Amino acid sequence: MTKKNSENYTKWQKSFERETKVNLSEASSDTDEGIKIKPVYTKADIENLSFVDNDSLPGQLPYTRGPKASMYTNRPWTIRQYAGFSTAEESNDFYKKNLKSGQKGLSVAFDLPTHRGYDSDDDLVMGDVGKAGVAIDTVEDMKILFKDIPLDQMSVSMTMNGAVLPVLSSFVVAGEEQNVNKNLLSGTIQNDILKEFMVRNTYIYPPDPSMKIVADIIEFTSKEMPRFNSISISGYHMQEAGADNVLELAYTLADGMEYVRAALSKGLDIDDFAPRLSFFFAIGTDFFMEIAKLRAARTLWYKIMRDFGAKNEKSMILRTHCQTSGVSLTEKDPYNNIIRTSYEALSAILGGTQSLHTNSFDEAIALPTDESARIARNTQLILQNETGVTNTVDPLAGSYFIESLTDELSKKAWEIIEEIESLGGMTKAVKAGVPKLKIEESATKKQAKVDSGSRVVVGVNKFKNPKEPKVDVRVIDNNRVRDDQIKKINDIKASRDQKAVDESLVKLVTAAKEDSNLLACSIDAIKNRATVGEVSKALEQVYGRHFATSLSVSGVYGKHFEGDEDFMNVAEKVNTFEEENGRRPRVLIVKMGQDGHDRGAKIVATSFADMGFDVDMGPLFQSPRDVAKDAIENDVHAIGVSTLAAGHKTLVPELMKSLKEMDPKSKIVVFVGGVIPEQDYDFLYENNISAIFGPGSNIIESAETVINLISDKIHKDN
Amino acid sequence: MQLVEKIVKGERAAIAKAITLVESSRENDKKESRKLISELLNKPGKSIRVGFSGPPGVGKSTFIESFGRYLVEKNYKLGILAIDPSSQITGGSILGDKTRMIEISKNPNTFIRSTPSRGSLGGISIGTREASIILDAAGYDFIFIETVGVGQSEIMATNLVDIFSLIVGPGSGDELQGIKKGITEYADIFIVNKNDGDLKSEASRTASDYKSAISYYKKSNDTADKEVLLVSAIEQSGMENVIETIQNIVSQNKKNKNFEERRAKQFTYWIEEEVREIIQFNIQRKIKADGSISQFSQKVMDGKIQMFDAIEAITKNLQSK
Ligand code: B12
Ligand SMILES: Nc1nc2c(ncn2[C@@H]2O[C@H](COP(=O)(O)OP(=O)(O)OP(=O)(O)O)[C@@H](O)[C@H]2O)c(=O)[nH]1
Ligand SMILES: [Mg+2]
Repeated sequence: MTKKNSENYTKWQKSFERETKVNLSEASSDTDEGIKIKPVYTKADIENLSFVDNDSLPGQLPYTRGPKASMYTNRPWTIRQYAGFSTAEESNDFYKKNLKSGQKGLSVAFDLPTHRGYDSDDDLVMGDVGKAGVAIDTVEDMKILFKDIPLDQMSVSMTMNGAVLPVLSSFVVAGEEQNVNKNLLSGTIQNDILKEFMVRNTYIYPPDPSMKIVADIIEFTSKEMPRFNSISISGYHMQEAGADNVLELAYTLADGMEYVRAALSKGLDIDDFAPRLSFFFAIGTDFFMEIAKLRAARTLWYKIMRDFGAKNEKSMILRTHCQTSGVSLTEKDPYNNIIRTSYEALSAILGGTQSLHTNSFDEAIALPTDESARIARNTQLILQNETGVTNTVDPLAGSYFIESLTDELSKKAWEIIEEIESLGGMTKAVKAGVPKLKIEESATKKQAKVDSGSRVVVGVNKFKNPKEPKVDVRVIDNNRVRDDQIKKINDIKASRDQKAVDESLVKLVTAAKEDSNLLACSIDAIKNRATVGEVSKALEQVYGRHFATSLSVSGVYGKHFEGDEDFMNVAEKVNTFEEENGRRPRVLIVKMGQDGHDRGAKIVATSFADMGFDVDMGPLFQSPRDVAKDAIENDVHAIGVSTLAAGHKTLVPELMKSLKEMDPKSKIVVFVGGVIPEQDYDFLYENNISAIFGPGSNIIESAETVINLISDKIHKDN
Repeated sequence: MQLVEKIVKGERAAIAKAITLVESSRENDKKESRKLISELLNKPGKSIRVGFSGPPGVGKSTFIESFGRYLVEKNYKLGILAIDPSSQITGGSILGDKTRMIEISKNPNTFIRSTPSRGSLGGISIGTREASIILDAAGYDFIFIETVGVGQSEIMATNLVDIFSLIVGPGSGDELQGIKKGITEYADIFIVNKNDGDLKSEASRTASDYKSAISYYKKSNDTADKEVLLVSAIEQSGMENVIETIQNIVSQNKKNKNFEERRAKQFTYWIEEEVREIIQFNIQRKIKADGSISQFSQKVMDGKIQMFDAIEAITKNLQSK
């Protein structure tokens, strides 16, 4: 520091402390990542950086400033909105409208049965068909999905991991039958199974065979589909599940390293596949942190790939898609979400993303309507066309704050990466369940901050809107969609060459047993009109289906509330309840159907236990009957159904029916939490649901309601 | 009593309510519970009670899922009591065992109940013994009791079951010599789990360690041999050995009357335990009401009376009340 600098700094510090009456050393704010953000940054903060090179330019190593020299000045980022619902016909309509209105790439959201490798006619998926994405059972559905959309011109991203073989195969065959050879297909398949085991929960097979499938796809596409990204290594879902930015960054890159090793183990040369690895990050509300994260991600990936021995520059450059954060969006006062999304989008752009999805304001209510989707898309169109953000590459470079934050994030993430590496890599860590638990811990802390009010969420725990607006919601009739799909499946099964199907499935099973590449065999089966479910089941014979064992954090929520009056009040009530009833209030928290959103359920479970409840935690993917049996055998006072993927109108009445059948005198109180449009409340109450807890519910208040409901029920019965 | 009939008929909700009753800490419930248990003792079923104990995370629940699947396929009815050690500062707990027993919990021929241990001694919770009497009367072929093993507790659990098995993981053989001297005494079966993948050779080594350890054990000539078994809960391998071993031990012990003797001993122990508890409860009440302890201790401190004389006086006084 020069003399002048340090004189100025001393002067500034005096003024600062006079204005704030706070010592500068105590004036930092702590982020979720455990980073101290100082009130001011100076040249001194960027003098000895470990990862960032201040002299580097965009498109130059370590690529902190962007993967390309020209970035948006040459071509703006791709507006790529993630969408899909109901049948292929309806989704195809929606895509075409969007493309007309300025969207540039497609991104397909499949429904949960497809994700989990079940056909629409399977009993296990009665509540889930077409609800949270589009239902694809055969290649015929895939062809309809891309009707009038030339696949040699449109880049298509597909979020598919569990059932990646039959779905990617359907895409390839749909292309072929449009007369587009697979070497002309462009786009991305997510194909990132590790984060499924951590947070997204649409796995099918156990980790080891799942990793083999990932590697098979990288191998096949690197040879046959040169324009196609073989994987989208995703941190996005981790942040949405509650990870802070350091965890997101570190786990994503560590996953990436694991995939590189998997591909290398196939005997591929690193430069043959690495240029086609792509990434996916979430962009939350912490504005500068998110910008720094994208810059840090590129910086670290460069280092990682260089150390792997990559020679081709393209192998070392991290290209990424981003999505604004859904979990930052609220059910209450939902128009605020447009504002949140705008800031997040700007953050992604300043961080230098290659493509972007912006969420709709009805995110916490249901799938977007045409109208809310239009506003979401326009958020990006306005950024591209009206604000001038595309005119300068990496405009925040040189900012003391941003550069120092980029470096600090890199350092913190690198520590975690090294730790995971020393334990034998991410597959091992995932099997042991550690990353999942760390993310849940982080999620629980965030919830505690919001519930205690130490973190403000406008319209939720402060500045509430006295007159909540009514918003329209997209309604999907899953019974109708399911009936349509079943009819299509039956027609295809009746008209296809069954012998050819059987033979190709046998070949697939043999390939799995012999450990040869599965994608080519799967393409054959799909071409013969085998269904997505049939292909998945065939492999299930060899690999088995994976069931996750779930660990739980404990004490994290309670610790935040030490001495808090409301918290102690509920804990006291629980103790009184135990004295009066001879046991603690016992609540079974469940997830039914294929809905894999477990963040809310797990947070509520650990928080309730911290307040003194006995909480039975059901596994994922239960049927209503399983839940009833579990509840009755454990003689619980209440069942809390956590439902986010819109299966509630089918699954909740089924549960009530099963309870009645198994115990006609059942006195179990049933309540529901999760994403439930207000329009459905009456329906649920008519089905004897005692309470509904929507997004943003304060858990301490919810616990109090629950214990009151249980006590009332007991008193009424006596 | 209506409840008894329903239990004997095997009604799920009735069994569940009865278990709640025997676990309850409410005085009224305790009385009812005693009545219920007396009646049920007159209607014994044919259950074999097997304990599965072992350190946290060795795979007890996963093993029970895996072994249980094997048994229900053979049409056995299975009652499972899982004692969950988790407990928060505030006393609540998260009972997650069910997430490890996914397949069998769906089966109509199973009844699975988790109970928080509440930190009670021995990892056995209040009411476990009674709960197994209920399941026995309800007609379950096997009753499995899952407990976390931490020293003492294993011995407590042996008092509730016909066969006690210890589940251990690969690599746990080393600890044998030192701390677990008594181990060979009370376990009938040693199950070395996780005999799969990379862990296989380690698991075999552990099994040999256990085998050599039990070879030192002097058995009275007519009891069944102790067995060391290798299994993988995840791969569902070795299950037929487990059932065979259980059946062998049962039949041999029955032949030699060891089976009945063991139950008789447990029964005697149970009565002793209850008596002790009642006496202890009474004494505690007397001490509280009497207040002479603090009076005497003051006198001792003031040098008016010798300590051991005071103790004798207090004891006499309490006993006479
Ligand atoms: C986080 C998230 C994810 C994460 C989930 C991570 C995880 N492990 O949970 C990821 C990114 C993986 C994900 C994936 C998908 N998601 Co999502 N996701 C969300 C999001 C943004 C937030 C949910 C959340 O965790 N909130 C935070 C928690 C703490 O809140 P909560 O669960 O609501 O719980 C609170 C209350 O509801 C209540 N509560 C909830 N349960 C219970 C239980 C009891 C007992 C009690 C007392 C209270 C209670 O109390 C809690 C505390 O306040 C929502 C939109 C939104 N903002 O709600 C979409 C949303 C749920 N997702 C959606 C979809 C479609 C999907 C996908 C199916 C997309 C696809 N086609 O591939 C996938 C597949 C996921 C799967 N396997 O099921 C849709 C569902 C559509 C619908 N309902 O109509 C939503 C609504 C977004 C949207 N509008 O499109 N998602
Ligand atoms: N490799 C391998 N892992 C296993 C096996 N059985 C269980 N595990 C793993 O061990 C971990 C613990 O399994 P649990 O069944 O929960 O163990 P537990 O002994 O019941 O644990 P607590 O009830 O918490 O004491 C899980 O991650 C299982 O997947 C096995 O046979 N092989
Ligand atoms: Mg267990």
